[in-house]
Amino acid sequence: MQEVRVEVTPLQTDGMRDVLGDVVQRQLFADHGIDVGKVRSIRGYLIRSSYSASEIEPRVQDIFSDPIIEFGAADTPLLEDKNFFPSPPALTVTVGFKPGVTDNPGAAANDGFKVLFPDGDSFISTYVSYAFLQLPDDIDHDWLASTLFNGLIEKSILTTKEQLESGNATYLTYPERPSIERQAPSIINLELADEELIRLSTEGLLALNLNEMQTIRDHYRDEPTRAARTNIGISPNAPTDVELECLAQTWSEHCKHKIFASKIHHIDRETNEDTVIDSLFKTHIMKPTHDMAKEVDWLLSVFHDNSGVIAWNDDWSICMKAETHNSPSALDPYGGAMTGIVGVNRDILGTGLGARPIANTDVFCFGPPNWTGELPSTLFHPSRVLRGVHAGVRVGGNESGIPTINGSIVFDERYIGKPLVYCGTVGLMPRRLADGRESHEKNPIPGDLVYMVGGRVGSDGIHGATFSSLELTDESPSSAVQIGDPITQKKMMDMLLEARDACLITCTTDNGAGGLSSSIGEMAEYTNGCEIDLGKVPLKQEGLSSWEILVSESQERMTVAVAPKDKDAFEALAQLHEVEATQVATFTNTGYFHVKHGEETVAYLPITFLHDGVPQLELESEWTPPQHVAFTPPNDLDQSILLKEMLARPNIASKETWVRQYDHEVIAQTVVKPFVGVERDGPGDAGLIAPIHGNSQGIVVSCGIAPRYSDIDAGAMVAASIDEAVRNAVCVGVDIDKMAGLDNFCWPDPIESEKTPDGKFKLAQLVRANRELERICRAYHLPCVSGKDSMKNDYGVWPNKISIPPTMLFSLFGNQPDVRKTATSNFKHHGERIYLVGTTFDELGASEVAFHLKERGDVEGIGGQVPLLEDPKSQLDVYRKLSAAIQNGLIRTAHDCSEGGLAVALAEMCIGGRCGAIVDIDGIGGGDAFTRLWSESLGRIIISVEAQHELDFVEIMEGADIHLIGMVTESSEFTVEDGYDTIIQADVDELTTSWKGALDMTGVVE
Amino acid sequence: MSLEVKVCVLFGFGINCDRETAAVFEMVGGVSERLHVNRLVQGERNLSEFDILAVPGGFSFGDHLGSGRLLGNRLRFALRDQLQQFVTDGKPIIGICNGFQALVKTGLLPGPSEASLEPDLIQRASLTLNNTGRYEDRWVTLEFDSQSPCIWTKNIQRIECPVRHGEGRFVMPTAEDFNNLEANHQLTVRYVDPVTTIGEGIQDELLPFPISPNGSMRNVAGICDATGLVFGLMPHPEAFYSMWLHPEHTSMDIGEDWEGEGLQIFRNAVEYVRSQR
Repeated sequence: MQEVRVEVTPLQTDGMRDVLGDVVQRQLFADHGIDVGKVRSIRGYLIRSSYSASEIEPRVQDIFSDPIIEFGAADTPLLEDKNFFPSPPALTVTVGFKPGVTDNPGAAANDGFKVLFPDGDSFISTYVSYAFLQLPDDIDHDWLASTLFNGLIEKSILTTKEQLESGNATYLTYPERPSIERQAPSIINLELADEELIRLSTEGLLALNLNEMQTIRDHYRDEPTRAARTNIGISPNAPTDVELECLAQTWSEHCKHKIFASKIHHIDRETNEDTVIDSLFKTHIMKPTHDMAKEVDWLLSVFHDNSGVIAWNDDWSICMKAETHNSPSALDPYGGAMTGIVGVNRDILGTGLGARPIANTDVFCFGPPNWTGELPSTLFHPSRVLRGVHAGVRVGGNESGIPTINGSIVFDERYIGKPLVYCGTVGLMPRRLADGRESHEKNPIPGDLVYMVGGRVGSDGIHGATFSSLELTDESPSSAVQIGDPITQKKMMDMLLEARDACLITCTTDNGAGGLSSSIGEMAEYTNGCEIDLGKVPLKQEGLSSWEILVSESQERMTVAVAPKDKDAFEALAQLHEVEATQVATFTNTGYFHVKHGEETVAYLPITFLHDGVPQLELESEWTPPQHVAFTPPNDLDQSILLKEMLARPNIASKETWVRQYDHEVIAQTVVKPFVGVERDGPGDAGLIAPIHGNSQGIVVSCGIAPRYSDIDAGAMVAASIDEAVRNAVCVGVDIDKMAGLDNFCWPDPIESEKTPDGKFKLAQLVRANRELERICRAYHLPCVSGKDSMKNDYGVWPNKISIPPTMLFSLFGNQPDVRKTATSNFKHHGERIYLVGTTFDELGASEVAFHLKERGDVEGIGGQVPLLEDPKSQLDVYRKLSAAIQNGLIRTAHDCSEGGLAVALAEMCIGGRCGAIVDIDGIGGGDAFTRLWSESLGRIIISVEAQHELDFVEIMEGADIHLIGMVTESSEFTVEDGYDTIIQADVDELTTSWKGALDMTGVVE
Repeated sequence: MSLEVKVCVLFGFGINCDRETAAVFEMVGGVSERLHVNRLVQGERNLSEFDILAVPGGFSFGDHLGSGRLLGNRLRFALRDQLQQFVTDGKPIIGICNGFQALVKTGLLPGPSEASLEPDLIQRASLTLNNTGRYEDRWVTLEFDSQSPCIWTKNIQRIECPVRHGEGRFVMPTAEDFNNLEANHQLTVRYVDPVTTIGEGIQDELLPFPISPNGSMRNVAGICDATGLVFGLMPHPEAFYSMWLHPEHTSMDIGEDWEGEGLQIFRNAVEYVRSQR
């Protein structure tokens, strides 16, 4: 095999630019205020094949470089080419991948290479060089390099001017993966003292507690078990490493949601309540949904599949799933977030017999991007986390051809320890397939062949599920981080949807956490057994041990069952799409999860023990309300200035720079886009899509998130999140009678231990959160159809532990009868009457304005009454009326009132419309003018209505608390009065500048 | 001869606007088929079965090594004969976004300067990274050269539609290259300032971001070949097939006809095929 280096750099002729270099220069300026001067880029390819440099050189322009805009050469280091670098750059940072890390450009290049050079195997690894032509002297080279690569997955070489001048430059070489030898399965002795069992779990990253380890040990003491094992030829008295790893994955918090399933002893010090809750999930999430399922006919599949499915109309059903990818995103923001989004896409593809992903949602929680405080050395600066996570979901979503239609970014210091990366996807599938089967139901039978489809298995992604069930520390393993490969997945998606429509699939699920052990293990419950041959699994690298193949979470893989008669058709389709599909297992009805490697049995676990054997946790919960200094705003504040400051708060400011980089319109269905109004830069409340081309029936997708309220009461946080999602949906005219929700909990560890002395309180927060979830969802007739929890969102070790504020994202998807009748947040025309729907209470506790004034040092505390939703039943009635007014075409302007209250919402409506408004807040509710401006009371939506429709609107809203508060004007002034007092007078252009500037972060574009 | 106008909409390898592209041809009376590139490469099907070829948008091969490049290579090397025959037969081809990038890198656009020549598949232009360095989704205003030979853009003066790309900056090596195309009216469609009078928006001088979303030389959004049959553009007219896709439809009084401005491009091609029978 020969190794040839090809390097490519942009031409420097008239009108040509080196944009990659420009971006590095601009971002360093935007994030750090440092001007590093001109930066030039070189892309490098290291090619291992049977071809020599002289054979490759003539085809460089056909594959690697663009003849119009680039120069490329084989085996000629461009840094030493005087045509491009007349004098050697001050510093060049070259970044390449570590061995075994997914190299997407390399894979694509190799695909192109094989078209022209088809003989024999070839491998390509890529790198990028950033040449800083004239670097200021005071810039530390290592620091500069550290901003350009992540040492966990990448390596870098620094080349100085001096090295180039003296001919001592070194170059990156092909990332050699050390060969590994397959280890035969070992037998793990569990007949140990308790502390030895715990040590075994901890050192093996199994994340199993003592009771669970003992339960596993006891399984192997059971005589019938021993007899069955002897019979099949596997160690009778003790597990193999394959079995122990498989159980650890399947029983992980990540897969089994043990905290939500636990028995909780709950004490409330306020009310003296002392009760036992047998599973929060069953009590507060599952039961309410099942009760609601008795009242409606459109809940097709809830909780048991990869996503929840509802009937949208007679021909189509829709489903949605949201996931978090927090721990991987903390370690590698780009790769972690990308695998998050492409992973949740696979959940949709793995729902029923396969749904097509049609929309993504992204909600992130980060530390403040302008953070200047202390930062533990192992954590990335929040601005870097933001850039990396954003790039990951951007690439993952855009390259998959799935529009990102809704989302949010929330900032709080405590997310520095652990960012939250929520990725959601909506799917669409025909109600029935051509052969009459309902596509939301899986129907495998024993004898069906089980294929692994898509990517190969590697050592990347081993222990992801168990790792995410532990807190983040310095020693967190790099193997838990992966980079997604959206194109491999897109090809697989195209192929599997074609296979579904050809009725070739009997069952499918994705390979996510726990790898094949989870995917095949879960599917085997349908037929009550399976037999896997790990020897057949295609590997990225030879030598992986049986347990590694079974639990590896290597990406872009689906597990698909096919009837034996359809084998040839299925494999032909895979070949057409250039997708790897390998039969690795067969469904049985033996009652066993039977794993072989070649002829050798390496795991033999009863299906019931694997899935139902995990013992229930018993936990302690105790609620004492947290004490806060009351929020007492100074009475001499200039509210106009305060409004501009509030609009520039990261939690409120426009995220347009970031959101525009997501494709929100691919598939040609997006009716209400993330930005609305005359300049298309006002905030969209909910995503609205019409996914069947030519048909105006719509789907609404919205979300709500309110972590600040957890500081006072996590129950109020949950109520606010749900109400926000519903309000946003109402703003575009959702069908109130057909909407479904998803609850995604991210919590700090709520189990009391030495590491977590306040575990009882954190668990009590979870109890209160779940109780509110049930109360609001029942009142709103809003069934939760899917959800997820991530329960170890902490960084570091007590007492220096950073815990996130308890956070629940509520996502909503629902029907919209006719997208031609919808509303957007921008004020439209002079003379429209402005109404506030809903009542304003004195609810400034943990409000955005309270946090703002506290951070500014104006007040001592954020305490006070947090927004409550006391009567959700009558609130639903208000929403029904308002939705009807939108669906009737009476209202075309509506905006949700949330962070920053009435003042911020009205300002945003003026910004979207680039018009003024005059508003009087006298009589809209309780409290002084400050309270009425900034209070975040729930259930409120601002609308504007044309004079000709005003009476009809008032009539339709009869019985609801609505307030005529003002009028849209032609001026550029936003004026708020309280009776005779003018309290805000602001120029809309200035408000726009405040709102749009804060999170721009693009640096200067020439 | 069948009366149907058969449209081949390519898909596979990361093409991702195939469904809506197929749908808009159906809306204007065509009969679309989404066809995986490999069905043509493997010889199971042939381009000669079709009247129109559409190369939709997407991220073919992840746009690594330059957008559209690897898809362009597949077309150039694996489908060379079928593609040349299709063009020689005088059948219309459209490339949108990634499809435009692929046609440019294949060399079909702008193609040789004389209309009579067979396509030589030599690359003469390119589409490169936006000046901002960012992928962006935003709506733009486009104006068309009314004297262009392009059969796709007849009787269209100005439309709005979204761009969604990171590599949409159209470049050619010299001013002369542009002058030649301009003289032939092959610079079919340009980004224009929406405040200009319709018909007077086109200008050569570089427009600022975001009116020109990418910094294209001479504000070029799309070009055609010398025959006017092969057309490519970065913006997505198929994404404006209905008024409900317009960002400001909630501010407009639309009435009964909800057809979007983008649809006429596809109707032109279907009608052209019919007119040639």
